[in-house]
Amino acid sequence: MFKKLLFTVFALLLSASAFAQSGTLTGQVTDAETGEPLIGATVYIESLNKGAQSNIDGNYTISGIDAGTYTVSYRYVGYETVSRSVEIGSGTVTLDIQLSVDVVGLDELVVSGYAVQQKREITGSISTISSDEFENVSLQSTEALLQGRAAGVNITTTSGNPGGAFKVNIRGNGSINAATEPLYIVDGVQISFAQTSSQASTTPLNAINPGDIESIEVLKDAASAAIYGAQAAAGVVIITTKNGTAGPTRITARAETGVRSLARNVDYINSEEYVRYMGEGLAINNGVTDVSADGADISSFEDTYRNFFLGFFGADPDSDPNDPQLANTDWQDFIFSEGVTQKYNVSASGGNSSTNFLLSGGYEDTEGTAFGSDFTRLNLRTNIDHDMTDKLRASVRLNISRATQTGVCQDGNFINCPPSQAMFEAPMSFPYLADGSYNPNTRFGLSTNPAVVKNEVDRNNTVTQVLSALKLQYQANDWLSFSGSANIDYRNTQDEQYRSAVAAPAQNGWISFANRNVENYQGNLVANATRTFDGVHAVSGFVGTEFRSDYSESQLTRGDGLPGPFFQVLSATSTPTTAAGINSQWKQASYFGNAKYTYDEKYILNVVARYDGNSRFGEDTRWGFFPSVSVGWIISEEDFLDIEAIDQLKLRAGYGTTGNSAIGNFASRGLYSASGSYLGSTGLRPNQLANANLGWEEAQEINIGLDYELFEGRIFGSIDAYQKDNTQLLFDRPLPSSSGYDDITENIGEVRNTGIEFEINTVNVAAAGFRWQSRFNVAFTDNEILELPNGTPIDEDDLFESLQEGKPIGLIQVVRWAGVNPADGRPMWYDADGNITYTPTNSVDAVEYKDGVANVTGGFGNTISYKGFSADAFLQFSFGQWAFPGTDYYFTRTPDFLMNLSTEVNKRWTAPGDITHYPRAMTAGTDFAETANYRTQLSTGSIYNTSYIRLKNVSLNYDLPDRFTQSLGLNNVRLFASAVNLVTWTAWPWYDPEVAADTDDIYGNEVYASYPTERQVNAGIEIQF
Amino acid sequence: MNNLKTLKYVLVAALMVGFTSCDSLLDDVEPSTSVSAEVVLTSEEGVDALRASMYSKIRENFGFTTEYFIGPSAFADETRNRPGSTRYQALTVATGTSGGTAHLNNWGLYEIIQDANLIIGAVEPSVFEDPATLDLYRGEALALRAFAMHTMVRVYGYEPGNFSVGPQANWNAGIVIRTEPVLDLSDADTRARSTVGEVYTQILNDLSDAKTLLAGENADNRYVTEAFVDALSARVNLYAGNWAAAASAAQDAINNFPGTLVDTQTGVAEMFDERSGNHPEAIFKVVVNSDTENTTGGGSFANNGPATYTADGFLAQLPTQFLLDKYDAADYRLGWYEDCTTTQLNPLTQPTNCTGVNTNGLVSVKFGGEKGNSVDDMPMIRLAEMYLIRAEALAKDANSPAAGVTPLQTLMTARNAGTVPATALTDMTAFEDYILDERMRELGVEGHRFWDLKRLARDVRNPDGSIKMRADSYRILAEIGSGLRNVNDLLVENPGYAE
Repeated sequence: MFKKLLFTVFALLLSASAFAQSGTLTGQVTDAETGEPLIGATVYIESLNKGAQSNIDGNYTISGIDAGTYTVSYRYVGYETVSRSVEIGSGTVTLDIQLSVDVVGLDELVVSGYAVQQKREITGSISTISSDEFENVSLQSTEALLQGRAAGVNITTTSGNPGGAFKVNIRGNGSINAATEPLYIVDGVQISFAQTSSQASTTPLNAINPGDIESIEVLKDAASAAIYGAQAAAGVVIITTKNGTAGPTRITARAETGVRSLARNVDYINSEEYVRYMGEGLAINNGVTDVSADGADISSFEDTYRNFFLGFFGADPDSDPNDPQLANTDWQDFIFSEGVTQKYNVSASGGNSSTNFLLSGGYEDTEGTAFGSDFTRLNLRTNIDHDMTDKLRASVRLNISRATQTGVCQDGNFINCPPSQAMFEAPMSFPYLADGSYNPNTRFGLSTNPAVVKNEVDRNNTVTQVLSALKLQYQANDWLSFSGSANIDYRNTQDEQYRSAVAAPAQNGWISFANRNVENYQGNLVANATRTFDGVHAVSGFVGTEFRSDYSESQLTRGDGLPGPFFQVLSATSTPTTAAGINSQWKQASYFGNAKYTYDEKYILNVVARYDGNSRFGEDTRWGFFPSVSVGWIISEEDFLDIEAIDQLKLRAGYGTTGNSAIGNFASRGLYSASGSYLGSTGLRPNQLANANLGWEEAQEINIGLDYELFEGRIFGSIDAYQKDNTQLLFDRPLPSSSGYDDITENIGEVRNTGIEFEINTVNVAAAGFRWQSRFNVAFTDNEILELPNGTPIDEDDLFESLQEGKPIGLIQVVRWAGVNPADGRPMWYDADGNITYTPTNSVDAVEYKDGVANVTGGFGNTISYKGFSADAFLQFSFGQWAFPGTDYYFTRTPDFLMNLSTEVNKRWTAPGDITHYPRAMTAGTDFAETANYRTQLSTGSIYNTSYIRLKNVSLNYDLPDRFTQSLGLNNVRLFASAVNLVTWTAWPWYDPEVAADTDDIYGNEVYASYPTERQVNAGIEIQF
Repeated sequence: MNNLKTLKYVLVAALMVGFTSCDSLLDDVEPSTSVSAEVVLTSEEGVDALRASMYSKIRENFGFTTEYFIGPSAFADETRNRPGSTRYQALTVATGTSGGTAHLNNWGLYEIIQDANLIIGAVEPSVFEDPATLDLYRGEALALRAFAMHTMVRVYGYEPGNFSVGPQANWNAGIVIRTEPVLDLSDADTRARSTVGEVYTQILNDLSDAKTLLAGENADNRYVTEAFVDALSARVNLYAGNWAAAASAAQDAINNFPGTLVDTQTGVAEMFDERSGNHPEAIFKVVVNSDTENTTGGGSFANNGPATYTADGFLAQLPTQFLLDKYDAADYRLGWYEDCTTTQLNPLTQPTNCTGVNTNGLVSVKFGGEKGNSVDDMPMIRLAEMYLIRAEALAKDANSPAAGVTPLQTLMTARNAGTVPATALTDMTAFEDYILDERMRELGVEGHRFWDLKRLARDVRNPDGSIKMRADSYRILAEIGSGLRNVNDLLVENPGYAE
């Protein structure tokens, strides 16, 4: 692959033809502020397609220039590009250039959907993250890169396995039953999330190599997102990949490797502590009142359990058969171990006045920590822009990728999922017998012995994805252009699973295979106009139309019965057991337009509207209109604000409506579905009542913001305040169950999200080659349900998923924990009246406690650079979210299931008078007479704060001195090291404070064993030829 | 030239509008596994599939499987948790005074009534080549509707005649009656609970209609038969205190059912084992395909089935010594209990502490998971129950224990359980006590114990004899709950629960 790429690159290089010698241009490129030479700056004469790069002293030379006047551009990453007109004769012209640091201010270009705008003209709320911020962050997907970096964009890991999915939430949960995920657009292609693998947590954005990304824009408010109308209620994330720039071809090769480990372990007690604990429980059950170290001798009770465990789990295979001992296995060690990652990228970019290109190939192989888990990605990207004539320009963006995730059952309380097995297997249990065979006495028997899961089960998911956009642009005259795009998002996912006869004894082994396809096509036509009248009236806008068809299908097959471990194909199975397949589709047609008027570069009026039709809705209601209007006032252009410290100050305000149609593709129809079967006949049953009036869910949002740039760009950022009301929710209104139907999807209900977002970037020090920059963002959000059908609560008494007017989504309702009775170690709770009770009833005694809304989120980054050295540290934080750690609580706080026990139990009650949080030892949660089950009676004591601050990323770069690289004939050599999830500060005592059950979990207050977050430490080298 | 340009732009503009102008672009999108009501209700294949769904929902609904068979035992005194296990723990520890709400909830059986109502009221006979087919289907639907309603009404309401047993005098609220198909949103109206009397009247009318439609249909007990209608009618009349009607319906069921009582030791012991006996006494047997119809989906074990609660998987609800002590040593029915360490066919749990529930560490193998994947066929009503109903009803109708001896003795003889003792015949109370014991022996862990105690207004006791729930406790009736009441504000809560 690499060879091919090189060949292609060379072919392109050769195509640049030589010129006859004439004059020479030479000079030095330096930093305008420090005077330091800039190494590797590109100097380029576009009309000649000739260029050079500055050397270690910042000097450059371009020889062989025909006499004439040329425009020469000087480019350096992170600095403003400078263009100069130079007259070349027959001799040498010297031109020294000083480049200024490009503070990413109001002149930055922002991709805002169907058009690129200058940031100064933007009147909505858009967060931009450029590749500088994450170029050395070693993560698998775009969502991971975004985490913590854009104010108001709250991203939570749902599964820590490499390539796992994220819950992405922009400005709060607005919807209850329809999706709350944003729309993702990669180089104009709207990405489908249908039919992802069912075997591994994954995201379609894994197709994109993070190294190829130039910038990520998040359209947060309605005024900016309304151009995507009906799909934009949860925000829009626009991912733009790098493209070539005119100049000599630049080849960059990059290699890195690293280690991946668990970000954190959970402490469980060991076997002897377990015996002591159980012995205490049994002793108390038998009337012993003081089981403290100073109390009664309870060794006989301990022996009872020691012997019981020896019988239950068997003796440690390493112990003397004549003196059998309990095993003491650290299952976390068995299940999780360090993984190795390696990544390689090669790219070539360059171009001339008519063609720019970027070719990039990448390969990554990252092992997860849980045994057998692994992520690989091979991707090839071709980005080409070519001017066919002076009016017609063609652009191609093509990404082909093949990603695999092998591994294990990952998330959830499943007895065969290693992450939950790390909690389910007690230390007394062990994987192998003395003779090396599998221990049949693990917690749930042989077939779920973690060693069997490790060796006898294979799960492979392979995703092949093509993302392609072809765009033709016709410049009709100096103010009018047309463009048309055809976009393809094709994804094939294959899930294979093999279980040997050991892992699936009932079926004598089985093999399953699922094939999933997504064919997601879009096409659009846009007419774009820009005119300025009388020098002060700038009018621009576009109108367009778009069509999208999103088809997905899956076929699932399974065969049982394998002749032995020889084959892993369906043909080798004796009994076909599953043959299933479904398909689904939705279509959308749209018209959209944008008109912008700017007066004297001070006052901006921007109107956006989109008219969308979607096949999901009834014929009469399928079309929806989504308008928005916003205004901007560049105050700093006013004469009265002539303050030197203020470079730019812009006030903006917008109001608009966006839509949400992300429900079942046939949610408006009356349906009988194929479900159930009896005596060989498949059932058809009514499962959905028709609602011909079903229409769009709408989000109305008002946003007021201020963009600022102070002290010559040394401080810049923005402040935004918003109120977003999702109305006419696509809500599953419960129906009387005597009707046989659970609910009907109707447009009913309202949810409000309000918030303030603050972003600031500063250049703290810039002197003598030393530079220290900081960036900080924080968002404050509040969520409230404003309206429900008839005002009545839904699941009123539910602990975690009740919906009530005036309350946030994710309200937690539990009874109050009253501590442990010092007299006898029994757990106590408060009833509704505040009296101590031993038998509380949730529906009566529960109080409104906390909620699963992270009210304060953000990030804080610092970059320090000095000459060739730079360092970046990025912290990400989340506060305000509370949650119930389901698996940990149910299975590791009491010995009911003889699983691991958390070290929390070590702080238990042992003798009358003890004041403790944990009750006395128990042989089961039901041990306490006349008292609720300690394990299942949840209370305020079972709910934990998930707030955390995480050192998300640290990276160090060192550019080798030029004298060294030049001697090797290289342009630049960079050594780098990076770390992800290095340190986390949190009070959450379990694996990971990032709580999201899955990507569309709106409650955020419950989590069950999920693949823990991992830490990664990498080092690598990047060479530029 | 300029005109040409203008024309060009107009053309481009027209192209753009034309690109998406057709609303019809949004059509031609059809679901792959769903169809419209018309397709189902107006074709023979569609109605056949709707009927399959109706039967399928019995095995899919927890309220008609584990809750139906095992729940009433755990809630009363026939089973208790193996120490360390938790399934149905809440039912076993629930008392008559604590604030808990654990109960045998099964409001969800309306989903079966939903399919039944469509077959009864939304299908034309002309759909079938042989219009008489619809009569059979309607008969089945009426019977299953009655079955679902009776199974629900005993949870939420008192039996006729018991309205003043509880904390509130004359509390006669039953369940919602819905007998029309729900075809669109306007049909899904909110309704108040009908009285228990109205519900029983509806059930008996349905059964009467079903008997007419199913007359002579007794060949295949995997579907509803006339014998099943008779049997259900016997049970409903017994609960209603219509003794004569109960006795006569039970006799009809005995007559119409093609099989007879099993009377050999092996035959009785293996009666529930699908590998051998295969339910010879099942008047209606719901058949489950162990490969494809498990509650958790094809291929994996039936995580929530009766077997995983009792003899397989989690070994949670074990027979109490109190139940086992009811048998004489020679009773063939002791073959239904086996050593917990050897019974599991699909082990999930190490069978420990079984002796914590009964002396010899036995489990009930009525649901043993013999079909694989912890799956069993489900005998919804069994012939033996008819003899017990007939014995109780004849005695009570005549107010004389002697009147009920014959059917009781027939059953006991078949089971090698000796003769009806004289002490059982001293008065009606003694006879009722004896019938209750015989019902435990015969129908233990098969879905009767709590309901028998409730309909006879007996206190519910723990196996050690201590009071679990007094007959007058509000906890005898299940809570409707805020979830149902918030959706339907016409529903009134049962007394004693939070409004």
